[in-house]
Amino acid sequence: MPKHNDLEQKAFQLIVNSGHEGILQSELWHKLGASSREGSRIAIKLENKGLIRREKELQNGRWTYRLYPKRMPASMDSIADCPCLMCPDNSRCDPSNVISPQTCEKLTQWLLTIAENYSGTLGDS
Amino acid sequence: MLSTIDDATLIKVAEALGEEDAVKLIEILKNADEITDDEIANKTGIRINSIRKILYKLYDHSLVSLRRTRDPKTGWFIFHWKLQPDQLEGFILSQKRRVLEKLNIRLEYEKNHDFYYCYTPGCRRIPFEEAIELLFKCPTCGKPLMHYENNKIVEALTRKIEQLRKELGE
Repeated sequence: MPKHNDLEQKAFQLIVNSGHEGILQSELWHKLGASSREGSRIAIKLENKGLIRREKELQNGRWTYRLYPKRMPASMDSIADCPCLMCPDNSRCDPSNVISPQTCEKLTQWLLTIAENYSGTLGDS
Repeated sequence: MLSTIDDATLIKVAEALGEEDAVKLIEILKNADEITDDEIANKTGIRINSIRKILYKLYDHSLVSLRRTRDPKTGWFIFHWKLQPDQLEGFILSQKRRVLEKLNIRLEYEKNHDFYYCYTPGCRRIPFEEAIELLFKCPTCGKPLMHYENNKIVEALTRKIEQLRKELGE
């Protein structure tokens, strides 16, 4: 039988992955292979820790809970395509150096792409 | 602490590490408790040296942990790797802070300078002070330099900085 802490982590991961839609408590226990008793105890524990929120919901004539993550997971979306992220020149990138965020062409291109996405037109004319 | 990282973000981090194979590797690490580089090579078919390169990169950012044992037969070291999802959030936040710092420096520079450009792809924009010395001639292609309005870059910078500040809760 898996350790209680492992189950808690797995349950939390499933709830986090469910995002804004949340996940039904009953559905969660099926996925975890746990009993409903075990499951509801973990849900209460996670709720007490302030990690999730439970909302009562009627499902097929039975009352159950839908579980939502309280804090949305940290997202990479805003910087996923930024060239600075894994730039090989990062250690040398400084305003006092030849390689600088002030003049970096890769950064310029990224900014122009963002500007294009905002306005639908490229660069300046 | 329980981590709040969804699978999609995990994959994006792997992609950001710049390696196509990193995505496959993370998938394997995610589903295994602890795994050796040999086992990953057998499962993915990726060359062992590429796997080690990616693992060390992940290790540099504390995204994986490492345990070393000795093979009793050969006396060689065996490395056991484990994904540390609780470190991912910290990794993302520190990357955002780093990008934000660079964007702030860039915004300051863009606001305080007037730029001239030859409008040839591949050539760089020249600030006014340097353009005077160059007699308004592009040092790369020799074409005349004309004024370059950078308001779109400034706007993109301002929006991105605002977005990152919000995400970082600053």
